[in-house]
Amino acid sequence: MFPKNRTILSSLLVLMFGAVLFYIGTDGFQAFTAESARVNQLMDEKPQFPDVTLEDNNGRTYSFSEFEGKYVFITFLYTSCGTVCPELEVNMSEVYKQIPEDYIGHDIQFLSISFDPERDDPKTLDTYRKAFGSDGETWRMARIPDKQELKSLLDRFGVIVIPDEYGNFAHNSAFYLVNPKGQLIEVMDYTLTEEAADRVTEILLSGREE
Amino acid sequence: MMKSPVYGLLLLLALILPPAANLLESIMITHMHMQMPLLVISGLFMAKFFQNRFPGFFSKWNENGVPGLLLFSIIMVYWSLPRTMDEALTLTSVEVFKFISLPFLAGVPLRDSWPKLSSFWKHALIIFFTILFLALGWLYIWSPVQLCNNYLVIEQITLGWGFISTAFAMVVYLIYSYFMDFSKYE
Repeated sequence: MFPKNRTILSSLLVLMFGAVLFYIGTDGFQAFTAESARVNQLMDEKPQFPDVTLEDNNGRTYSFSEFEGKYVFITFLYTSCGTVCPELEVNMSEVYKQIPEDYIGHDIQFLSISFDPERDDPKTLDTYRKAFGSDGETWRMARIPDKQELKSLLDRFGVIVIPDEYGNFAHNSAFYLVNPKGQLIEVMDYTLTEEAADRVTEILLSGREE
Repeated sequence: MMKSPVYGLLLLLALILPPAANLLESIMITHMHMQMPLLVISGLFMAKFFQNRFPGFFSKWNENGVPGLLLFSIIMVYWSLPRTMDEALTLTSVEVFKFISLPFLAGVPLRDSWPKLSSFWKHALIIFFTILFLALGWLYIWSPVQLCNNYLVIEQITLGWGFISTAFAMVVYLIYSYFMDFSKYE
């Protein structure tokens, strides 16, 4: 009866459909990239660090429960990486320096995990750690020799690693914080070192008070 | 006359075939600038079938072509988000939605709307997509971060230049149509 109004009505319906579509597709206008969706989801789920066996820069092997009772600050890297990883590790050392010293080693452990166990043997990791001022104790670099265990960890923490044709890997980077019970509680932007250090110090302080 | 919907359906089925889908999705720019437009084109071909089947629906609800134009734009913008392209690769439900929404919610309405639209709306659509493509090109080229987890940064930059080139082509068209009087040739 009102042909003009009918197209206005259908336009409105289309716009409403669009709003619903975008609302669902971006988790309520929160996450426009898969990476931000991943981080939001991880913070909700708080996944448990799987019980994997690590081999560190001194050739020691132990399971992740070695760090039980401590917060663990984690990054994922591979030493042959020429782009993001050095920046990631430099930023990690910035955070390491900004955390009050008496927490280091007692309340918090720093750990860089390589996802390239074939090339990153303990010797390579030991050379690499020196370049970034890691002491090899309170900040260790380790590989996970078992491929299956490595995959389960990467899947659970949402680390996507794509090998490219030049023997490099493209991967998403972040700072990860695991609590004394082994649950992932924070995923932080690795480019904002001061914010990350403040956040970690805050968590450590409230952990001591408890 | 009734042949073009069949070709459209064949094109859609060919694009759904896993080897074809995997090939086009393996590179970021072919995923966005070949597979997605081809899906829309398959919808353009199939539109006649729906127009003949439900003539009342299109003439009543899309009388001036604007609702169809809006629906087309919404679906296109949705598939320009970095996240949807990423999730099409990792979540089956999103992949299925891509193969349904682009032909039937973008291609079909565009075919039905285009002849009904006044030149104001046609130009508005082209200007809108020119601005959108320039913005997306800028985002993909100069973004300091990797926007898609499933693609390398170099592919992201290639895609950005693809957007800029397409926007450039649309600007050329707009300038051309400004100086030309098409009615002389019709």
